[in-house]
Amino acid sequence: MIKLENVTKIYPPDVKALYKVNLHIKPGEFVSIVGQSGTGKTTLVKILIGEEKPSQGKIVVGGWDITNIGPAEIPVLRRQIGVVFQDFKLLHRKTLFENVCFALQVCGEPQSKINNIVPQVLKIVGLENKMHRYPLEVSGGEQQRAVIARALVHRPKILLADEPTGNLDSINADEIIEILQKINKFGTTVLLVTHNRDVVNKLRKRVITIENGLIVGDQAVGKYIL
Amino acid sequence: MFLLSILRVIKFSLQDLARNVWLSVITIIIIVLALLSVNLLLIVKVLGLAAIGAVKEKIDISLYLKSDGEESRILALKSRISDLASVKEVAYISQQAAVESFRAKHQDNPEILQALLELGTNPLAPILVIQPKDINNYEDLIVSLNKIEDPLIESRNFADHKTMLAKINDLTDKASRAGLALSLLFGLITALVVYNTVAVAIYTHKREIGIMKLVGASTWFIRAPYLISGIVYAGLGVAAIIIIIYPLLSFFQPYLAVFFYGFKINILEYYNNNFLTIFGLEFLVVTLINFLASLVAVGRYSKV
Repeated sequence: MIKLENVTKIYPPDVKALYKVNLHIKPGEFVSIVGQSGTGKTTLVKILIGEEKPSQGKIVVGGWDITNIGPAEIPVLRRQIGVVFQDFKLLHRKTLFENVCFALQVCGEPQSKINNIVPQVLKIVGLENKMHRYPLEVSGGEQQRAVIARALVHRPKILLADEPTGNLDSINADEIIEILQKINKFGTTVLLVTHNRDVVNKLRKRVITIENGLIVGDQAVGKYIL
Repeated sequence: MFLLSILRVIKFSLQDLARNVWLSVITIIIIVLALLSVNLLLIVKVLGLAAIGAVKEKIDISLYLKSDGEESRILALKSRISDLASVKEVAYISQQAAVESFRAKHQDNPEILQALLELGTNPLAPILVIQPKDINNYEDLIVSLNKIEDPLIESRNFADHKTMLAKINDLTDKASRAGLALSLLFGLITALVVYNTVAVAIYTHKREIGIMKLVGASTWFIRAPYLISGIVYAGLGVAAIIIIIYPLLSFFQPYLAVFFYGFKINILEYYNNNFLTIFGLEFLVVTLINFLASLVAVGRYSKV
């Protein structure tokens, strides 16, 4: 599903965010990528969504070589990958319902389909009663659930979650991880980037550890070892 | 699908205008102020040129004829002068008409009227009033008139007009050049103000533009609502300026009519006759500036 071959990312003048990273994530896996702040986790996410280009190496996502992806192809790639961010990145002037709709509207999906799917997805994340509220009118946990709904709405094969619990208390964080696990059970490959030790240890799934841009650990059923 | 996207873009644009109502109002106010400045400059320019044109219209050459000249010979001379290429019109004022005009002009001055009465005869000469076709060819007309040898002509003194005409032409040239420079400067300032207002309005959406890119919106899908907003801003701005400028013109026109008494200057009529050109052009220019500002600003913030 995701394949990285000798991927290196160097920021000018000579900061090595990632160095010769080799990674293979199979369809349906739930993988946690752990590491301390500034070790290259977010750079990895940015490369996977086409926000950054690698300095060297090859990246294949869902059979698509995105190493040298062009600007016109980036929106197409992003419609195939669901992304959840730590700072939610919701449009404040749209309701939660409209935020989720937007991800389908940019793809040109018909309104009838949107009106059918969006309430279902919002129900999965438990927001059916708050869908017409604006992001700033709900809690952080609810905002993050709306982000997950938005990421899921076009049924992506891959879900990237970059520190999704970073701004949440432990109760909300647990709820978000539960939702991610539920999504994974439906067959979606989930890539969870985090430095939350408790979350990773509870999951008991594959853990990849990054340190100073290098992969220093890859355990099939791992723990947060740093 | 393309039509669906267009409809969605229009919907997002109008939704954004309504949900950012204060930002929209401020942007429109800036556009209205800019257009008001442009229109005031236009009014000043139109009035200036109309005044100069009217003064030029008033310039004519009077050919004083002998009092004992026969009417038929005078009319023949009038016809000969009318045939000159540089002549627009020739009016004949007979001795009788001249004295009647004199009496009418001095009807409040009994001393002058009494003096005229005491003379016993009509002291005024018949006149041919010649209006040049083009004031710039005034010199040619004088040369042509000087070539006409007719014993009926008593005097032909054109020297005073030459100095005045030179001054008027000089003033017209300077006014045109200053007007053009001022218009260009004003146009540039207006364009920059509108451009920056729209760019700042889009800057407030910087975060949103980034999010839209992250969820897979194409650059066109992000850019189009701002382009539509630009058209709406321009349309509302021009509509507002029409609502503002017409009462202003109606209010000032009577004062202008009094100020420019004797001249045909009607700014309201000028706006009515050139309505589509003036406001259509203003709409197009503002839309174009909005378009450019949107293009640059969205491009700058959508590199995610």
